[in-house]
Amino acid sequence: MSEMLGNQYFLSRNFSKAKEAYEKVLESEPENDFIKKRLIICHTQTGEIKKAFELFYEVVKRNIELITKTDIVADDCPCPELISRYGNIKPDEECSYDSKLMLGILWLYCSIEKSFEFFDALAAEEDSDIKIKEIRDLIKEKINQSKVHYS
Amino acid sequence: MPTENKLNEEILNSIAEGVITVDKTFKVNFINRVAEEIMGYKKDEVIGQFCKYILKCDLCQTKCPIGIVLESGTNLYDYSSVIYNKNGNRKPIKLNAAILKNSDNKPVGGVISFRDVSELENIKQGANLISNFFGIIGHSKAMQEVFKLIMEISESDATVLILGESGTGKELIADAIQATSNRKNKPFLKVNCSVFPQNLLASELFGHVKGAFTDAVKDRPGRFELANGGTIFLDEVAEMPLQTQIQLLRVLQEGTFERVGESITRKVDVRVIAATNIDIQKALKEGKIREDLYYRLNVIPISIPPLRDRKEDIPHLVKHFIETYSKLYRKTIPDISDNALELLMKYSWPGNVRELENVIEYAVVRTKNDNMIEISNLPSLIKDLSNGPLLSKKIFRNENAATVLSLLEKYKWNKTRVAKELGIGRTTLWRMLKQFDLVEK
Repeated sequence: MSEMLGNQYFLSRNFSKAKEAYEKVLESEPENDFIKKRLIICHTQTGEIKKAFELFYEVVKRNIELITKTDIVADDCPCPELISRYGNIKPDEECSYDSKLMLGILWLYCSIEKSFEFFDALAAEEDSDIKIKEIRDLIKEKINQSKVHYS
Repeated sequence: MPTENKLNEEILNSIAEGVITVDKTFKVNFINRVAEEIMGYKKDEVIGQFCKYILKCDLCQTKCPIGIVLESGTNLYDYSSVIYNKNGNRKPIKLNAAILKNSDNKPVGGVISFRDVSELENIKQGANLISNFFGIIGHSKAMQEVFKLIMEISESDATVLILGESGTGKELIADAIQATSNRKNKPFLKVNCSVFPQNLLASELFGHVKGAFTDAVKDRPGRFELANGGTIFLDEVAEMPLQTQIQLLRVLQEGTFERVGESITRKVDVRVIAATNIDIQKALKEGKIREDLYYRLNVIPISIPPLRDRKEDIPHLVKHFIETYSKLYRKTIPDISDNALELLMKYSWPGNVRELENVIEYAVVRTKNDNMIEISNLPSLIKDLSNGPLLSKKIFRNENAATVLSLLEKYKWNKTRVAKELGIGRTTLWRMLKQFDLVEK
């Protein structure tokens, strides 16, 4: 399986096949961030939220801009359509932890502020993972940087 | 290497197929001139765009052509598909797809080449025209519309009114309607309303009982009873006496009638196909046909255009009749010469397809075996077209009896009109009728 085949599956929104192809490619190209970025989305759509978050955590920790600088149109990013498919749930609404986590991840591709709202809500939960708090703080830091940059 | 790239671009621009290449993310990185033409996009509009938003091929919506190659490992060749260009116009294409690989044999892009096959499709559609529809030859748009209409009404039992000049093939149309209908295996009776004396038509259609009139020596069912469950074709329906028209109207409305001389009401289920060659609007104005009957008959009107209005059918009809009469006369007549056909195309065919058929039969008889039909083999009436005015007095010789007959039929044996059409006096026409032994039946 090639990266290109994975790309084709990803463009046709066949996330399980794309995941298969991308995972295979990552074995030989573990530093391929382009694939990792897409693989995160694939994991969210194949019900592997933990896997998605692990990869997301790794990428965001290393370089948050890999996600935040996504061009929705030029990259044919599926996140807006995936988010709207879940009915644009708000962070304070009643929904499962995994759903909030998934939406927090997907929102970072489209809106850093929205993503922060979800990770902030997740971090506020009692048994919240330390990694969630780290992500929330990284996002907060990035938002502040942008504010400084534009002020 | 810019020079090498330039060279590659020139090569790709010189070929007759559209070519698009994509990188491994499926973004277009090259489009040649032919592809620009076929798709209606300029290079700048497509470079960097995802190919699925540009090519808009029907295959892209289900399975990407390059994806198929990636999955199967086999290139696509001459795959029939359809694209929608920038303006949304549909274009049938044949496409090829292949993968571009790097030195490590890893896919790094794809190439789609395609050609517009619209013209080919148009030709194929032309070839798919119904050339022989239940024995009716007609390639013209008008006749194709007639065939289409007949197919469309095949599930219906609605009454049909066929309108057309004499010789246009109204009876063949009726045959086709019956053959395509749900009643095709049921009785199909034909009645020419003009051949029966007025007082006998009602008896013929609805039957009579013994003693109803002088010659009614026994009970006899009419055509409607015999056609029960099936179809009846009433040719020359406008010739029907007004009294019989009322009876027909009742059959159409209620399916009931009485035999002549009887008071028992009978019920039938008969589909009516009627035909006339007269100007129906004029007949209505003149009160020759009842308006209520006309509306009952005219549920599905089918107008057959005269041959002069669909001359593109002439070559096909000629070919068909040559084949028919070659078989009949056990001859091998391969074709008709271009000059002879040109002459047939010039003629106005007042007797329509029937007249053309007679002319070809005549020509087949006159043509020597293994020879083509030439101008010299055609009847004088047609031959004289090449020499000057169509209808001069000198044209009449024995061989054009068929043409005179067709004119007589066209004008219902109105000799004044036929003589006028031929440009001769009534006396000359009378002499000709005598010579040809033509008498009105």
